[in-house]
Amino acid sequence: MSLIETASLTKDYGPVKALAGLDLRVEPGVIGLVGANGAGKSTLLKILLGLLAPTSGSASVLGMDIGTEAGEIRKVVGYMPEHDCLPPDVGATEFVTHMARISGLPRTAARERTAEVLRHVGLYEERYRQIGGYSTGMKQRVKLAQALAHDPKLLLLDEPTNGLDPTGRDEMLDLIKRTGTDFGISVVVASHLLGEIEQVCTYLLAIDAGRLLQSAPISTFTQRTPVLAVEVEEGADRLAAALAGRGFQARQDGACVLLALEDESLYDAIRDSVAELSLPLVRIQQERRRLEDIFRDDAPSAGGVQ
Amino acid sequence: MTTAPVANSPAVDIAAQAPAIELVNVARWYGNVVAVNDITFSLGPGITGLLGPNGAGKTTLLHMLAGFLAPSAGTVRVLGLSPSRDPSVYRRIGLVPERESVYGFLTGFEYVRFNARLQGMRDADAASRVAIERVGLQDAADRAIGTYSKGMRQRAKVAGALVHDPQVLLLDEPFNGMDPRQRLAMMDLLGEMAAAGRTILFSSHILEEVERIGTEILVMVAGRLAASGDFRAIRALMTDRPHMITIRSSDDRRLATILIAHPAVFAVELQQNAVSVQTAHLSAFRRIIAEASLRAGVRLIEVSPADESLESVFDYLVHR
Repeated sequence: MSLIETASLTKDYGPVKALAGLDLRVEPGVIGLVGANGAGKSTLLKILLGLLAPTSGSASVLGMDIGTEAGEIRKVVGYMPEHDCLPPDVGATEFVTHMARISGLPRTAARERTAEVLRHVGLYEERYRQIGGYSTGMKQRVKLAQALAHDPKLLLLDEPTNGLDPTGRDEMLDLIKRTGTDFGISVVVASHLLGEIEQVCTYLLAIDAGRLLQSAPISTFTQRTPVLAVEVEEGADRLAAALAGRGFQARQDGACVLLALEDESLYDAIRDSVAELSLPLVRIQQERRRLEDIFRDDAPSAGGVQ
Repeated sequence: MTTAPVANSPAVDIAAQAPAIELVNVARWYGNVVAVNDITFSLGPGITGLLGPNGAGKTTLLHMLAGFLAPSAGTVRVLGLSPSRDPSVYRRIGLVPERESVYGFLTGFEYVRFNARLQGMRDADAASRVAIERVGLQDAADRAIGTYSKGMRQRAKVAGALVHDPQVLLLDEPFNGMDPRQRLAMMDLLGEMAAAGRTILFSSHILEEVERIGTEILVMVAGRLAASGDFRAIRALMTDRPHMITIRSSDDRRLATILIAHPAVFAVELQQNAVSVQTAHLSAFRRIIAEASLRAGVRLIEVSPADESLESVFDYLVHR
């Protein structure tokens, strides 16, 4: 059973087409959802939650139809909205217990489950304090905790690292990763930060102007290219010349020499040339494609050396 | 670091000599809360990233530079003038605040023109059109800002801040809410302005992006300046942190035995399909690695510095 499936899903807001016949099929995993502002990400999330009816087309989540089984879907889906949505005058425990009870958990189970998820997201003694006094990082954790409270099978996270500083971001990303792998919960992460998506997700969904732009495992976007970069502290020009002299295609780019990797003998030639010229070697790395290339208007330039 | 000349000569002359931004022993407190604590630095033309955890004092610092706040102690100078006392310097400063500070009922064009007129520009309409185009908002320029997406509002703010072509541009989290394509375009725009001799200071939490825009950084931690300058130079100064290099080769174990014998290396660890090397003398290590593997007859497939990135430098500075 696929995680999410849509067929010619369309949503119009008056003359504006937010989704224009979106067809997609996603299997369980940690999925990154990217797209330009206005591409239809939020609309898609709202439709999947059954909060918004599509203009036409159909969609299903975990095999359940969004039109007829929206209530059932929400029982197994946790949602972390992007905007600030927490009541300031209650503690995290009280709030998450409340959310768990709204999702249908009995009082005792809701309490136990709350204690568990708050510990999972890393909120300890602060949980009894009023949320209004929390830092941005703590608020994001509460938002994640309430999404997990009813033990969902799928989590929808809208910009989960918004407003977090580098440490807070790392912790949140780690938490998302652990939620996906340790608990086996599928996660959809909507984000503008491609580096983040690369770090935590296994699969990428890119939508543009309400249509599917890309849908593939992350690894296909970050493949190695047949270009080897050699960086030296000094003497990149001499190294480029030496390697060209040995019959390899070499091009200098600042402190780097870029080489076409066609033959493994290149590795030895690099080592020998660097040693011969006694240059300080900074790195030897095969260049990778980058996720952001799919958003570049010009064709990806990762390929050629010349 | 140079000291600013006394401010009794004409402003233009001072601006030509003084660094664009100069702070000397600057502090700012709110009651008993110290937001900025005894900071001294100067910045010239180019682009600098302002980094630090939430609550480190970045926004307070930017607001002092923009003239919104007077320092509680010390001297703040922008283009040789004190922004909190001399409003004439506003004409040469552009500020993009973090908060949503745009009027929803104005169109993008009206908002930018409003800024142009506040700056006393003669041809406000033409300047506004240029600014709108620079941020790529021309298609939405006649729509009310209230209907904009977050990334569009952000770009409208940027257009409003650079409509008078300021010498100094201050941006507080300018990339917030922008999508990948808008981020790339904004990075290019800031890069162009820096290349044209403008002084640009921007705060950000997204270290990968800061690293791509430039190498100059200011790092604030708990109100103090933890470091300033080229982050690679800052890394080199951290002599208590050994440098880590990950190497993949045709024979990791053999390479490891050769490397551990070398005085520049003080730890080698075999990992799965790689060997991780720690050295206190990075440049010495860089000079021997190719020759050592040549002598050992080991093929080097990958050599990658493991903790030279801005992310590692930042992490070391903040968690000291």
